[in-house]
Amino acid sequence: MKSLLSIIISIFVISQICFSQEVIELKNSASNKVIIRLMFRNGSISDPAGKEGLTDITASMIGSGGSTEYTYSQIQDMLYPMAASYGASVDKEVTTFYFQVPAVFLNDFYSIVKGVFLTPAFAESDFERIKSNQQNYVDQVIRASSDEEYSKKALEDFLFRGTRYQHMTAGKSDGVKAITLDDVKNHYKNYFTKNNLLIGIAGNYTDDFLNTLKSDLQKLPDTKPVLPGKIIPSEPKGINVEIIEKEGSFGSAIFMGFPMDITRSNDEFAALMVANSYLGEHRKSYGVLYNKLRETRSMNYGDYSYIEWYPAGGGNMLPPSGAPRSTNYFSMWIRPVQIAKQLKAQYSELSGINIGHAHFAIRMAIRELDNLVTNGMTKKAFEDTRQFLQSYIKLYIQRPSDQLGYLMDANFYGRKDYIADMEKLLAKLTLNDVNKAIKKYWQIKNMDITIVTDVTEAEPLAKSLQENLPSPMTYSNLVKSGQPKDVLAEDDVVANYKLNINSVKIVKNEDTFK
Amino acid sequence: MIKKIILLSILFMSLSGFTTRTGNDKILPYPILQHQMSNGLNIVTVPYDSPGIVAFYIIVRAGSRNEVEAGVTGFAHFFEHMMFRGTDKYPKDKYEDILKSIGASANANTSLDRTVFHMVGDASKLELMFEIESDRFQNLHYSEHDFKVEAGAVKGEYTKNYAEPLEQLDESICDVAFDKHTYKHTTMGFFKDIVDMPNQYEYSLKFYKRFYRPEYCTVVAVGDVTQDKVNALAEKYFWKWERGNYVADIPVEPTQQETRYTHIKNGDTPPYISLNFKGPAFSDNSVENPALDIISSVYFSQRSELYKKLVLNEKKLRYIRCGQSNNHDPNLISVDASVKKKDDMQYIKDEVMKTLEMIKSTPVDEKILNEAKSNIKYSIAMRLDNPGAIANSLAAYLAVSENPEAINNYYAMFDKVTAEDIMNVAKKYFLTTGLTIGTVSADEDVAVK
Repeated sequence: MKSLLSIIISIFVISQICFSQEVIELKNSASNKVIIRLMFRNGSISDPAGKEGLTDITASMIGSGGSTEYTYSQIQDMLYPMAASYGASVDKEVTTFYFQVPAVFLNDFYSIVKGVFLTPAFAESDFERIKSNQQNYVDQVIRASSDEEYSKKALEDFLFRGTRYQHMTAGKSDGVKAITLDDVKNHYKNYFTKNNLLIGIAGNYTDDFLNTLKSDLQKLPDTKPVLPGKIIPSEPKGINVEIIEKEGSFGSAIFMGFPMDITRSNDEFAALMVANSYLGEHRKSYGVLYNKLRETRSMNYGDYSYIEWYPAGGGNMLPPSGAPRSTNYFSMWIRPVQIAKQLKAQYSELSGINIGHAHFAIRMAIRELDNLVTNGMTKKAFEDTRQFLQSYIKLYIQRPSDQLGYLMDANFYGRKDYIADMEKLLAKLTLNDVNKAIKKYWQIKNMDITIVTDVTEAEPLAKSLQENLPSPMTYSNLVKSGQPKDVLAEDDVVANYKLNINSVKIVKNEDTFK
Repeated sequence: MIKKIILLSILFMSLSGFTTRTGNDKILPYPILQHQMSNGLNIVTVPYDSPGIVAFYIIVRAGSRNEVEAGVTGFAHFFEHMMFRGTDKYPKDKYEDILKSIGASANANTSLDRTVFHMVGDASKLELMFEIESDRFQNLHYSEHDFKVEAGAVKGEYTKNYAEPLEQLDESICDVAFDKHTYKHTTMGFFKDIVDMPNQYEYSLKFYKRFYRPEYCTVVAVGDVTQDKVNALAEKYFWKWERGNYVADIPVEPTQQETRYTHIKNGDTPPYISLNFKGPAFSDNSVENPALDIISSVYFSQRSELYKKLVLNEKKLRYIRCGQSNNHDPNLISVDASVKKKDDMQYIKDEVMKTLEMIKSTPVDEKILNEAKSNIKYSIAMRLDNPGAIANSLAAYLAVSENPEAINNYYAMFDKVTAEDIMNVAKKYFLTTGLTIGTVSADEDVAVK
């Protein structure tokens, strides 16, 4: 049977026919819709200091604002019967506008929405609405929704402190406050130009339509954007922990990681992909971390590792496209573990404890990474994991929108087709390649850790981490009585596993992202 | 491939003219091929042009709705976790090795009316998928220790959910809105029951025997498969599965008599108001559910006058939305709004209530009604572009109906909805006596009257 991948390869083309813009095409005359993606090489790293969040607000003014021809409200009215949609997404280094429309409405749709990116209205009223929503997000929503997402964004803030990668794409509280409508207009002119654009289109469209689109996009500003060079984060010295204390947290949400100088551009990425899948494939029960923390010890809902940024990990089962980055880091995600206050309330036998499971969980995750760096993968683990990935990566591009997105991301990394390349690289990979890559890129001595936890947990946890105190695993009697001896013996080793702690700091909830 | 092109063109011919037509074209433009096994297990095959890929789903029509006994709420969800703990033939590690070798994206999820086990992967491994899934559905075998350990993972799931104030609000609204019916608790269950889960090993065995039975399940295969092959594999692997005889006695919810209130005090998150009305049960042959979907779209979507007023012009809201949950039994229709300033909450409530009263007395403009129907149908048609999405859509309807054609029947009903139907459902369901109001704000108590 012809593989899905070979079919995909056969139908996409990259054209540079009439205009300077590159176009990635995935034409499919059997499709009932058309998907367009406009990817600008310009993300939150272009936000000026003191105006953090400007790229995001500018993108929102296009993705959720009007044009000089129609107000946002009029556009919504006209698109409503078509069920057509459009919007914007901002990451560190790219901003992408997404459009989706039933093929039968393509021309009507396009005549309505082309104004939003060619002649945006930049109306005062849209600006007020978008800015106040964004202020709301950076001031409240990020701190009060998911503790997991909070600790993840806090880790990026920690790892990239002092660089343009530090702030959230939504910006900082003071940065958003300082942004004016004139800033937005200038930012559009300087960074959303025909000179930093990649066009992607998929589905059932005609050549005439594509030519019109390309021709129209020539009318974008002709400025040559000045983009920052590659961000080089400073390497953490020792293990540095920031504990964010929150009133009423139910658990401790943990992220940890360190910068890693490799991206999808590098062929060694395939080797790391295998190692990472073995250690902690996202939302899979096969990873070592999942097995040790969740499956054997029932400490939380899941534990995973990453060799690149993974947007919205709580919702996505497969890695989405649209966030290519030239600066990268390794991370481990420990989903919320129990805190002492909760454990004491639930089990009388644990009434004497003063910290929950966070210290033990961090030790266990780092020790597993340590084992992998020291011992490497076994031949069997390597073969099994490689076989898994060879099938699994094809699922990344099941939907036409994902297929298009992955091709556009590949372009960012200087590749034609990342998925096809990885398939080839995986096929010729050896165990030695993988174990060499592990030793080259991973280590356990220097990293940053962020923990979002309850105010009652913060102080004792900080002391335990700072002083490398033993952190015995505290099971309820119900579970402990059935734990096999080898698990309990391993627990003792983990409880005393020494971490290369350099600093531990408690940060108040309201003081993050400053 | 040719068949697909023809079917798609039929869909679009029909959709582009459906506001005036009276035909019976289907929203899912692919054949739904059924095979009923003698033990009651229904096998559904949807051939779809996705070379080398199949979505293999098993829908169990048991969810938290079926949790009728006190002290064991959340068990349907917990049991979903236990289904990954292995059998004698394929203990957990071996099961995972096989799953890994398939290279599938596999998982499961539970909600009020159903539990769904799903995998999307290499179609050439279909027999292996049937083998391991049929084994755990018939021969699940876990130790009491494994059971106790897995309970901790469920508590971990609750712990991560609880960080979100809106999850806390949802839990509280269900508890307050219902007195008797099992929709009173969320799918996660009451926290005290989650903490007690490790003590319920014996009950778990009972739960498996009750619900993991062919008459509760539908097997769905979508993608690069043929019906003959799917049916042959189903017969080979599921023929021994014995029909059960348990039927949960789900309590009937008494009629609510007055507005109820619940409140979460939290000043760190944007204020929030949720108005929840008792609504109808799902039906694929009534205009009520489609009429409510149309109300959500016309009066509360980004197209609506209320959205334009409160979000775009007055900028008092971050967003507003409305939706019904289309469940097996009558559940809630909710209007939710994220508010910027807590002092505006009463105003927002009043504006929503004013809109609902207006819907009862003013017929919707015919043009907007037709536009809403078009929007709803095109939205779903565009989503159905891969085997997983098609299987997911089928699963949503198989949860509340044993008939896989329910999805087509449901969308066909939209054509029949009139402006009068819209007024009638509004009059029937948007009653203050059936209303539960939930709020989140820095206030000590409920922030609206």
